[in-house]
Order: sequence, then C-alpha cells, then structure tokens
Amino acid sequence: MRRTLWLLIALALVVAYPLVFTTPFQQRLGALVLLYAIAASAWNIVGGYAGQISVGHVVFFGCGAYAAMGAYTHFALSPLVGIPAGIVFAVLIAAVIGRPTLRLSGHYFSMATIAVAELARLIVTNTEYLGAAVGLSGPTVARNVFDLSFISALPYYYLFLAVLIITLAITWWMTRSRMGFYLRAIKDSERAARSLGAPASRIKLYAYMLSAGLTSVAGALYAMMFGFVDPESGLGILISVKILIMAALGGAGLLFGPFVGAAILVPLEEISNSLLGGKGAGLTFVVYGAIIVLIARFQPGGILALINRLWAKRRAKPMDESIAQEAGHAS
Amino acid sequence: MRFSHVIGLFSAAAMSAALVGNAAAQSKTVKIGGIFPMSGNAASIGVHVKHAFDVALDIINNPHPELGNFPLAKNGGLAGLGGAKVEIVYADNQGSPATGQNQALRLITEEKVVALTGAYQSGITLTASAIAEKYNIPFVNGESVAPNLTERGFKWFFRVTPIATDFARVYYEFLNDMKAAGAKTDNIAILHDNTEYGASVANTLTTAFKEKGIAVALDVAYATNATDVQSQVLQLKEKKPDVVIAISYTSDAILFAKTMQALDYKPPMLLADDSGYSDPSFIKAVGKISQGVFNRSSWSVGPAGSPTAIIAKMYKDKSGDDMDDTVARQMQALFVLCEAIDRAGSTEPAKIQAALKATDLKPDQIMMGYKGVKFDDKGQNILASGLIIQLQDGENYVSVWPKASAEKTPIMPYKGW
Amino acid sequence: MTFTLVQVIVGGLLLGAVYALFSSGLTLVWGMMNVVNFAHGDFVMLGMYVAFVVYTLLGGGPLIGAPLATLLLATLGVIVYFGLIRDIMKGPMLAQILGTFGLALLLRYSVFWWFGANFLSLPENLVGGTFDIFGIRIQASRLLAGVVALVVTLALHLLLTRTTLGSRMLAVAEDATAAQLMGIRPDSMQAIAWAIAAGATGLAGALIATFFYIVPTVGETLGIVAFVTVSLGGFGSVPGALVAGLLIGVIESLSGYLIGAVYKDIVVYSLFLGFLWFRPQGLMGKT
Repeated sequence: MRRTLWLLIALALVVAYPLVFTTPFQQRLGALVLLYAIAASAWNIVGGYAGQISVGHVVFFGCGAYAAMGAYTHFALSPLVGIPAGIVFAVLIAAVIGRPTLRLSGHYFSMATIAVAELARLIVTNTEYLGAAVGLSGPTVARNVFDLSFISALPYYYLFLAVLIITLAITWWMTRSRMGFYLRAIKDSERAARSLGAPASRIKLYAYMLSAGLTSVAGALYAMMFGFVDPESGLGILISVKILIMAALGGAGLLFGPFVGAAILVPLEEISNSLLGGKGAGLTFVVYGAIIVLIARFQPGGILALINRLWAKRRAKPMDESIAQEAGHAS
Repeated sequence: MRFSHVIGLFSAAAMSAALVGNAAAQSKTVKIGGIFPMSGNAASIGVHVKHAFDVALDIINNPHPELGNFPLAKNGGLAGLGGAKVEIVYADNQGSPATGQNQALRLITEEKVVALTGAYQSGITLTASAIAEKYNIPFVNGESVAPNLTERGFKWFFRVTPIATDFARVYYEFLNDMKAAGAKTDNIAILHDNTEYGASVANTLTTAFKEKGIAVALDVAYATNATDVQSQVLQLKEKKPDVVIAISYTSDAILFAKTMQALDYKPPMLLADDSGYSDPSFIKAVGKISQGVFNRSSWSVGPAGSPTAIIAKMYKDKSGDDMDDTVARQMQALFVLCEAIDRAGSTEPAKIQAALKATDLKPDQIMMGYKGVKFDDKGQNILASGLIIQLQDGENYVSVWPKASAEKTPIMPYKGW
Repeated sequence: MTFTLVQVIVGGLLLGAVYALFSSGLTLVWGMMNVVNFAHGDFVMLGMYVAFVVYTLLGGGPLIGAPLATLLLATLGVIVYFGLIRDIMKGPMLAQILGTFGLALLLRYSVFWWFGANFLSLPENLVGGTFDIFGIRIQASRLLAGVVALVVTLALHLLLTRTTLGSRMLAVAEDATAAQLMGIRPDSMQAIAWAIAAGATGLAGALIATFFYIVPTVGETLGIVAFVTVSLGGFGSVPGALVAGLLIGVIESLSGYLIGAVYKDIVVYSLFLGFLWFRPQGLMGKT
C-alpha cells in the first residue's frame, strides 16, 4: 500500500519536473535522464535480472538509431516509422547472435558481445547505404509534427517518460511472470535451474530479445532528438559501457535501479562538463571517474540497493521483505 | 522512500544547472560560444584553440597598432559597439555529437551567447549548428570540411574554411606545376583513413582527378587510430607510386612516418592533406624523419613584421607550440564573426546574420592565405583557397606554392630522414 | 610479391609479440581472480609515460625506463588492489566493470591534466635503429619488445607451474577459502598477482613507447586489442595469450595487406567470434 503511494508521489514529481525547472537546458537534462533510463532499464532485463553482462548492447541501440534516420534519409518517412523497423532488426539480430553467445559463460559472453558490437561498428563504417563514416541525419527543419524535431525538450520529455513507464511496466510484468522466476533461478545457479527443468537457454534468449527490442527504441528516440547518428555515436562501445554503468550504479536487477543510475550520472556528466569542461584540462573525467570508483568501492550493489537497505533497516518490518530480497539479489 | 532520495538528487542537480546559468551577466561584453573537443581523442585541438582564441581576444579587446590594417586590431574592443569587449564561453563537446548539441543549447539559452563557433568534428558541427538554426543564432565554422554541412539549407550557418573541392583544385594545379618543372606525377596513390574526413576528401579528390583525366592508381584506406600500419606501407612500397597523397589524423600520421622509416620506404613525393601533418606534435615527434613532406595548408607565417608573423609569435608565446593550419582556421573564423558583429553594431542575432551575409574581406584583412572571405547563399566562403607548404628542414613548414606567396622553392624528391 | 609477403608475416609476428606482451598482465588477473580490468589499457599508457619522463628528464632509454616502469606500475598494482579491487571483488561482476572503468577514466584524465593532450614520441633510434636481414627489415625496438614478450611469458608460466609461490597463487585462484584453510593468505597472494600483472603491463608500455606514439587516450586503442587477445587465448592462460597475440598479429598483417586495412579488424573479430563458437573456452583456457 505504502509502496504504491510513494510510487505515485514519485511519478507526480517526475511529471512535474519540467514544469518546475523550465529552462531549455534543465528540461533537456530531464529528457536525457529519461532516455538513458529507458536504455539502462532495457539492458537491466538481460544484464540485471538474467545476470548476462552484455557489453555490446549498443548494437541494438544502433539498430533503432539507424532505422529511424534511415526511414527519413532513404524513404523520406517520419523517423517514427523507424521504431518498429528498428525493433524488428534488433530482435532478429538478438535471436541470431544470442543463440551461440548465450551459451558462453560469464566473461566470454561479455567479450563476445563486445566483439559483435565492434564488428557492427566496423561494418557500418564501411557501408555507404548507412552513411558510412559520415552518418545519417534526420530532418533539420520539421515538415510536420511526426518528424519529432522540436525546439523545446518538453515533448521529448513526456514522450520518453511514456516509453520509460512502458519499459518498466514490461519489466515488472516479466519479473512477476514465470519467466522472471526462471531468470532469478538461472542467475543464482544456471546448473541448478537446468536440473530442476527450467528451459534456461530459451528463457535467456527471450530475455535477450526483449531487452534488444526495448534498447532499439531508446536508440531511435536518441537519434530523433539529436537528429543524427554516425558509427561512433550510434555504435560506439562507450555507449554500451555508459548504459551498463548507469544500471550498475543505480542497482542492477532492481526495477528502478537503472532510473536511479541515470538520474545520478546524466546530470553529473552534463553539469560537471558545463562547469569544468570548458577549462580544457580533462577535469570533468577526473571527477566523474573518481565518483564512479568511490561508488563501486563502497557500494558495489548500486545506490538503490543501499537506499533499500537503509530503508529496510529503519523500518525493520516484514512489509518490505520483497524489497530487501531484491536488494539481496543485487549484491 | 527510495524515490524521495532520487528526487532530491534530481532537483539538486537541476538547481545547480540553474546556478550555472545566472553566473555572469556583465554589461558591455559580447559573449560568443566556442564548442570544441577538450577531452577524448581530439583533446589537443581544444587545448590549442583556447590559446589561439586568447590571442585573438587580446588583439580584438586591446589596441594593437602594429597589426596595421588588420580588422579590429587598432582600438580596444569592438568600435561598432562602443568599444565592447568580446568574451568566449567554452564548452567541451567530448567528441560526441550529443554532448556537442547539449552544450550548444546550454550556451545559447543559459549563457546567452550571441553567436557560436566550433565544433571541429563535422558530425558535431552538424548537430550543434542544428540547435543554433532552431534558435536563430549565427554559427560560424572555421574548420569542419564535410560537404553536407552547407547543403542543409541553413540560414544561420557560415563556413569560412575551404572544403574538399577546393583542396582538389589546389592539388591538381600544384601537381601540374610540379610536372611542368620536371617531376613525375603520373602515378598517384591516395592513403587515407575511413573517417568522415578521410573518406570524403579521398572521394572528392578521386572524382576531381578523374574529371581532369588523371586516374588514381592506388587507394589505400585504413581504420583510424590503427595499432599498426606496416601492411599499408608495404602496399605502397610495392606499387611504387610517384605521388602519395596522405590524409591522416595525428596519431596515424606519426605511425606512418615511423613505419616508413622502419621499412625504408620513401615515395618520390609525399603530399599530405593538412590535419595530422600540420599538428605541431607531428613535427616534434617525427619531423626529423619526415623532411621534405609537402602539405596542403592555408596558413603560412609570412615575412617578419607582417600581421601573420606577429600573430604567430603571440600564439607561440602563449601556447609554446607553433601555429598550425587547423588552429589558424579556427582563429580566422572567430575574427570573421567578430568583424561581422562589429559591422552590425549590434548583438542582435538577426543583425549579425545580415552582417555575415554582407561580409567581404580582402586578402590583407585576413590571416589565412585565402583570396578573401565572402559567403554564398549556402553560407560557404567562396574565396577560400589553399597553398602548399613543405617541411624542408624537419622543423618548420615554409610555403612553396603558389609562386606568388612562396617563401622557398619546392625541393624534390622526398628526403625523409 | 613473395618477398613482401615474408616481410608482412615477420611484421605480423613482431606485432603479435607486442600484443602478447601487453596482454599477459591482463590474463593473469582476469583468469586468476576473475576480475575484468577495464583500466588495463591505461596501465599500458602509464608505462609509456614513465618511459617518456625517464627519457626527457634523464635522457635514458628503455634500459632505465623499463625497469622503472615495471617497479612503479607494480606499486600502483598493489595500491589499486588494496584500495579498490579487494572490495569490489566481493561484489558482482558489474561492480568490477564499474570500478575499473572509473579507474580508467581517473588515470587517463589525471595524465591528461598533468601532461596535456599533445601527442608525444621517443626518438626512433633509442633502441638501435633497424636491421636488414636478407632484405627483410626488422626494427630493433620491436624485436626487443618481441624478445621480452617471450621472456615474460616464459617467466610467468614457470612461476605459475614450477614455484611454490605460483602454486599458492593458483590455489587461491581455484578456491580462496580452501587455500586459507591450508594457511595461504589469499590477500597477499592476490596482491602479489596484481603487482606482477601491473608490473608486466608497465614493462610492456615502456617498450611499446619506443616505437609508438604516446597520448593519454592511447589506452583505449590498445585496451580492446588486449581484451580480444586474452579471451582468444583463454582467460588465465599465459601461453594462450602469447599464441593468441601472435595469431592476431599475423592475421591482422596478412588481411591488412591482402584484403585491405579497413577490413583487418572485421576479419579479426569475425574469426574470434567464429572461434568461440567451436571452442567457448578460448585457445588454452580450462573448460
């Protein structure tokens, strides 16, 4: 009960944010937090719940981004049309690469996903149809509202919020379903899960495909907002790492963990860049790196896990068992 | 519970964002935004440009009678705005088109800059200028060469630098003159990375040469930031082209110089395309084993006492590095922008835009070796051009072509080490 | 044609030896402690800067620079172990990625802050120029790196298989609790492993600096090569890293020469993925 109440309050605050903080930069900051929260939440399905650390999720991000920009560049369509196309590509690619790579254990899986991502980047860099190194651009001057090329960040903000809510709802539904049960079992011990008759390979593949499809939506939205994608910004390995870090920092395997991570890291990055970046001494990343190190060192399970633990300790009531349990899973 | 903490963080972040905005609101200053890479692979560009802009601001904001006819030098500040001082607000694009655009938005809406310049990487110039276009703020670019930048129908985007089609003309005419002087130039190889810069320049050159009836015999493409370039050098060594045109960033340019020496390969003529070969780090690192490399540039120091020589000295004193073509082009863009603001006599974007459109600078009013600065409808400088310089002693580039502005005669063949 | 081909292969082998050299440290910590070190490339970078500082301040070549880099980086390895790794090892694998990635940024941009972003380089003839053997050209600096790669690989291999220290380290890697019951202190063993790994990486950096450019972001370029080398060789297998390094070096050189340099990384990654399909534990890794 209380949980629902707090959720509603939180939702109200998120909805109200751009109406309170009204400058274009603050609104854009909010939109970016939501955008990265979508990507990190999508990653969370396979990285957090299934425990398969993909460092190549940018492939799916790129599918969406390229599909959106491609729809405009090659077919003069609204980039929105690219969203379903991107989902189809991403899910197909996930199915193809997931089958062999998900067999790999731990670090080999991570390495294989890095290799796949780099391969995709290199191939696109040499593919004229996808703009090669130059990249693809979206409509700079909107032809109509469906081009999704706005001056204000407000429409993006609420669009991203809607997509984030859908993503989280899907994730929540998944964790409550039989699939979520299996995923938790696989994460704890794949061998044990298998011996109890869980279809581990199939479940992992489904999680991977679901995660891929949602990540591609984030990629498409990203490309629409910035009106541009090139191999580095659409398929660069750094984006994979960034998504992963947000989820890990907030709390992987927790429903709201990725959102918390994004809400900390995106403003941290943009504001430290705004304050320090212009000095040109690399200070932004000294600060940014140091903060990440400190969090990993003192709170390896993520910020949200800490908050949950503190909360559980203070109340020490059975009602929050489920949360404490979740926190336990993450660490 | 959990969310209240989040929201607390979130709003604290947002408030500090607000504080950033209200910091400086001084009167009598003209704020210009500068977006450059100041971290990541191209960070040295941003470090150089800050020094160059410091020099430019010194020239604009303080009286410098020694620069003679050079615009904005005589008196302190912008005369057209009652002596207002120019101030640059810098932003780091972090090598990312997204960050570049975010920072452009911040500079326009929070810092209230009246115009923007930057952003080095073409992809970032593209996204950053798109925001400027939406907010009706002039964006003057001095260094991005991707052709599509001026093909977007933008009304607020102006590009001072020459682009690939201009380079092609320079190369063609230079090679023709060299041929007339007895050099062999029939067999041309192009060595380039497959970045947006390398690939598009190589493409344009190949097409332009073909139109003139010259076939490019060998096209060696490679991925930038290579760990090793032996096989590419061996490919060239085997095919023995008369001329190698090298289009590379600094990292790869240094590696090529080292590898060419290791594998004992010297093409008769090594003709570089600016960028990495113009970087002072390249000269410091491998200048001594790259003696005689030709380089396409638009910057040359010029005779002692000339405005360009004075500016070059000011820059060297400030940064410790020699001025290179890239940073000089960026500096020129700032001068063009400030000259337009001065002429507009206003900080209203629309008036600056109108002044930019009317810009007509003569060769003696600019620091670059252009034929002047004048924008066409698309915002491209139609008088941009280039010259050829040569690293004859391994330490300093001297201009060798065209004859009119040459300090020395070209030396052939490539000496190397 | 064939002549050039020989030169290409020789170049590829020398390149591969270098890859093996800067991967050996990574495979040690990755395989033994199951820790992914995203800051590995930046350790190489630090070794390069040590070599550069030694040259500019003392005028010394790798004879001084390499031992000093080994020593300094080994010290850093111990500091990093006790300050960061020991704690994040208790957390999930994600915490390791988080921590070492943050460390990578911290190291990279601290160097940037101190040294600036300009490209630096050591003189070409610091290690005796280039040999010409029957028309095949071999750079002394690369040869030195290659020889050291072999020596380091052999030494690490012997250390792990023939010494008490080695078997203790392996025991900790196998089962830290069991090792502790047998009177081995996991903490010291793992700190030693980090010192050796970081030291070897610093050594690699100091040697690579003699023929490569030096810049704060160079670790990014080299780090990913090390990752592929280590996983191809099999996590934890020092000889595996050597074989994988040589293999990648030759494949890169040959495909760069025969197919085109733009495609050489595509070839390497495709072969790597194809290989994992058939042998998911790498060349010489344990199942």
